[in-house]
Amino acid sequence: MHEGGPITHVVKNSHHRHPEPFDREKLHKSIVAACLASGAPMGHAENMARRVVDGVVGWIESRPEVTSNDIRRVASQQLRTYHPDASFLYEHHRSTL
Amino acid sequence: MDIITSLAIVGFAALIHASFQLSVSVLTLMSGHAIGSKKSHARLMRLTTSYTTGAGVMTLLLLSFTSLMLLHWFGTEVPLVVWALVCGLVFGIGIAVWLFYYRRNAKGTELWIPRSFAKFLTDRSKKTQQGAEAFSLGLTSVISELIFIIPTVAIAALVLISLSPEWQLVGIALYTIISLLGLLIVWSLIGSGRSLARIQKWRTENKRFLQFSSGGALIVLGCFVYVSKIMATVLGVQ
Repeated sequence: MHEGGPITHVVKNSHHRHPEPFDREKLHKSIVAACLASGAPMGHAENMARRVVDGVVGWIESRPEVTSNDIRRVASQQLRTYHPDASFLYEHHRSTL
Repeated sequence: MDIITSLAIVGFAALIHASFQLSVSVLTLMSGHAIGSKKSHARLMRLTTSYTTGAGVMTLLLLSFTSLMLLHWFGTEVPLVVWALVCGLVFGIGIAVWLFYYRRNAKGTELWIPRSFAKFLTDRSKKTQQGAEAFSLGLTSVISELIFIIPTVAIAALVLISLSPEWQLVGIALYTIISLLGLLIVWSLIGSGRSLARIQKWRTENKRFLQFSSGGALIVLGCFVYVSKIMATVLGVQ
């Protein structure tokens, strides 16, 4: 969270990297990528990503610190409503290999 | 062993090789990143084709190299003890595939390989932009899969070196083409615009079946070669 409010820090899963401020644009990009890889058209992907990011921002507003896993879980929950396939890909991306 | 039986063993070994999932996982990841970063379909196809070609070339080189080494060490008459060792290896890896192929408690298709290795391949698939990089990623993915494909390559090489040179070439070509089947199927699905999520979902839902069939097929292959080569020779049937 930014824009005047308190900054929410994202704790990285690897624990080798320092926590970093929540980056709305980074989340947006990753959701658009998952939607495109699931066959959604560009405009639709952007639209869904915007809604999901809004939902995630609402969820982290009151939290000073979250993990990147938390963000992934909440974002995929939100995305499931709009595009279940993209949500599956987004959630399981890290466990492909 | 006659030519038909030899080629059938080579074909079956290649089919088992094709059922292993590491190369397919890397291809899925690479395609996902390419589509996600809004690359054109032509560019995506160039990357996936280069990757598949790389995997094919490395399989070809690996089988040729193993055959050459075996030929160099033993000539065309391989001692029975070597056949027995390779059969044991095939059998053992078959059991290991049943037990360890996928990581325990993994939600997706995470394989039982060192995490640093998986991370390296994931990062490389993300950074792959050019056809040449995709080609080398294809080469690397076959090397990464070595622990699972050693028995199929070894048994195919043992069978191949007892054939005449022209049939050896046929056998190597047959093994390479069949071993690429998994990759070729995913390549054609991606090329026809099929959703990557559907492909990955299918792989996740059927991973236990793939694991069981790969391990089971290795055990069947080991038993078949043991009976048709070692027992047949010892009992004087051959």
